[in-house]
Amino acid sequence: MAETFTITVDGKPVVAHAGEMVLRAAQRAGIHIPTLCDDKRLDPAGACRACLVEVDGQRRLQPSCAWKVAPGQNVKTQETSKRVQRHQDVLVSLYMADHKLDDEGLPVETCNGNGLREWAQECQTLSLDAVEAPRAARPGDKNPYITFQPELCVLCARCTRYCDEIEAVNAITLTGRGSETTIGTAGMRGLLDTSCELCGGCIDTCPTGALVEKKAIEILPQQLERKVRTTCNYCGVGCQMDLNVAKVDGVEKVVRVTSPPPGETVNDGNLCIKGRFAYDFIHHKDRITEPMIRKADGKLHAVSWDEALKFAAEGMNRVKQRHGPKAMGFISSARCTGEENFLMGKVARAAFKSGNVHSCAAT
Amino acid sequence: MSNSIPEIRELDFMFIIGSNTTEAHPIIAMEMKVARQRGARLVVADPRKIWLTDYADLHMQLKPGTDVWLINAMAKVIVDEGLTDKEFIHTHTEGWPELKANLAKFNLAEAERVTGVPAAMIRAAAIEYATTRKAAIYYTLGITEHAHGTDNIFSLANLVMMTGHLGVPFGGLNSLRGQNNVQGATDAGATPLYYTGFQPAEDPAIQAKFEKAWATDLPATIGLNLNAIMKGVEEGTVKSLYVMGEDILISEPNTNHLEHGVKELEFLIHQDIFMNETTKYANVVFPAANFAEKDGVFTNTDRRVQRVRKAIDPPGNARPDWQILCDFARASGYAMPHYKNAGEIYAEIASLAPRYAGISHERLDRTPMGIQWPCTSPEHEGTVYMHKGGPVKGKGTFIVTNFRPPVEMPDREYPFSLATGRVLYHYNAGTQTRRDSGTMDKVGECQIEVHEADAASLGVKDGDMVKIVSRRGGIKAKVWLSGRVQKGCVWMPLHFVEAAINKLTIDAGDPLAGTAEYKVCAVNLLPLKAGKPAEAEAELAALRHPQV
Repeated sequence: MAETFTITVDGKPVVAHAGEMVLRAAQRAGIHIPTLCDDKRLDPAGACRACLVEVDGQRRLQPSCAWKVAPGQNVKTQETSKRVQRHQDVLVSLYMADHKLDDEGLPVETCNGNGLREWAQECQTLSLDAVEAPRAARPGDKNPYITFQPELCVLCARCTRYCDEIEAVNAITLTGRGSETTIGTAGMRGLLDTSCELCGGCIDTCPTGALVEKKAIEILPQQLERKVRTTCNYCGVGCQMDLNVAKVDGVEKVVRVTSPPPGETVNDGNLCIKGRFAYDFIHHKDRITEPMIRKADGKLHAVSWDEALKFAAEGMNRVKQRHGPKAMGFISSARCTGEENFLMGKVARAAFKSGNVHSCAAT
Repeated sequence: MSNSIPEIRELDFMFIIGSNTTEAHPIIAMEMKVARQRGARLVVADPRKIWLTDYADLHMQLKPGTDVWLINAMAKVIVDEGLTDKEFIHTHTEGWPELKANLAKFNLAEAERVTGVPAAMIRAAAIEYATTRKAAIYYTLGITEHAHGTDNIFSLANLVMMTGHLGVPFGGLNSLRGQNNVQGATDAGATPLYYTGFQPAEDPAIQAKFEKAWATDLPATIGLNLNAIMKGVEEGTVKSLYVMGEDILISEPNTNHLEHGVKELEFLIHQDIFMNETTKYANVVFPAANFAEKDGVFTNTDRRVQRVRKAIDPPGNARPDWQILCDFARASGYAMPHYKNAGEIYAEIASLAPRYAGISHERLDRTPMGIQWPCTSPEHEGTVYMHKGGPVKGKGTFIVTNFRPPVEMPDREYPFSLATGRVLYHYNAGTQTRRDSGTMDKVGECQIEVHEADAASLGVKDGDMVKIVSRRGGIKAKVWLSGRVQKGCVWMPLHFVEAAINKLTIDAGDPLAGTAEYKVCAVNLLPLKAGKPAEAEAELAALRHPQV
């Protein structure tokens, strides 16, 4: 365990662990410092300058995300430092001059939120002339999941650092120089023609909604009915995910899957292509919606639950009477819940006296 | 897993054998990548040049099915170099003298000949594993899906125990389970060997406990495992099946043979979210809810019990599987309790199985990280790593293993060794992922990975159609010169119903576990084009637009 000591932030004592950054200690103590480029999963970059604070003994403001704690350190945030406040007002205004604004002059809301909008609402912004930065998009990118909106990018490089440090496929990178710098790919190819595995981590980490999911781009966070935390139904890692539910044509549907915050769950906020994007099956037109029994004509017919259950029970009881419980097999499913697997065992053993129960766990 | 996923990023050494982690467990692979970027060493043993091999310090590209030789040779190096953990062996294990004596036959020169892995590489990996404290082993179906799958695991367990990498954080023997709730299915008692919570089915005291709880008499003998049930279907001794959430005619081995048996069943109930190959023969089809439409728990690969929560209603008259099972049991004449919700069912599980006694839906709702079993009381925090202070069973038993070749080896008639597996972009029978656009954009059709030299001798190029035949059936796929397979080996994914790979696979099963040998069977490749390009094109078009 690392050495622990206290530092002072805005006049309050804050517990800090040797080696960590000021921002982490402050966050743990519930002190708000705005950031755009910070993601717990990534190495500090100090790129966005939003989190600058005053540190006693330092002539310049320092990025709290990349400034290590030291015993007795005295730190001031925008709460107690006029200088930090002024810095933030100017910086957010500069960002906004190079950002798509809504009718009220605020950074636009996106389906993935917009951290710059939240931050701007905390500041006394100045009205600056718009910068027409020539950042390129990738209009020819045919991938069906991820889109890049350059007019919302603040070049914090969270997406490209995630792609390098966590997913380690390096499909996207900062390309170009100066005001033309953008989030690009090799030869500005579409993501399907790169090493991208469509994990969507770039969407999850993007603070301003410059990278978002294409599928339900028009549904803003405030239009959601709810977010439901659940466990992914694909592989055995057990990633936690939030099902975003909204009304579409009056019917509640899962319109998006988003990551829980980093540090909270076993997957640390990471998801893969299947968990994040392959949810169309939920509402697919091929879903079976009625119980069916095979009648004398050899075809399956939709019937009521009562009729289907009676038919099924009679069929199984007949086999049990004729051939005994050892001639029956009960195949449970690793796709179903623990409770359901328990019940399949109970149905086999208690209702039919058969020990022939197994799941695809065997294979 | 004996240990936990969050430990991975702090490891110093990872030995990954028979796991294509980036494709089958992408988020665990991310943790491994983080460890690797931090400076951890990575050794991968796999017959294919999988993604991780590019990232690894060593790639032991062994011949399929030779794992026992490779692992035992590593064990012998550790003995010869005097790198065993004598204290751990003395205190916590039994059977060491027998194992040590048996290892004498596994010399490095012979190991190189059998496995194809250079002796120096085997030696280096063994020494590094034995001498690194934070060192863990990860495996998955590349180890288990063999007729000698349990021997593979015993061999790995021997390696772990002889070096004392057990019962400590950042170590252990870690099986990466393939499906969302494959751990939980067995935990819950959907296995012939155990009642809920691994309580032996043949133990009269356990039987009595469950008879009392369920107010009925229960079978006194161990039932058939999956492999045996399927053989029973084929042979006509099993007359009825109740199948929940599995397309057995895609997922089980040797499906041509199985299909004949399924046709002859007297009664078949199939419960699923989509129609599939198996529903074609069902007498009853029950429409089920998917994971977004019901409540319950899944148990992941590191024994972590986590909540599944209902977000929306199921479509039409579909119902959660747990409700269907209860309704069916009552219709059949068994007095199944009227559970109000899945939480009440879990409470019954917790009351019957000591290792889950401390877990409840209410507690899970307060615990975003989930709870890792064993968790024996509401105060118990759960178990991050197993076997602390000594193996759970008392003494860890070294089990002597000897090499048995795969059941069906390549020969003149069927000269290639076929292995099957997953790709990142699809999941099992593909019923879910093949209904999504991006996953299909990434991998939209079935390809067979072939070595360049083999393709040249067959006269086929990248993209040509071939028919793949085994002693049990034939399917078609497109050749992919991926550069990943070794000469004499071919590899295919299992997700494509129109190239139903389990028409080829062998239904030989491991004698203890019943797990089928999906990773090795002998096949031949027949070029399809020869002089009839139009026909081949039509076949290709049919594959691109499957009727799922």
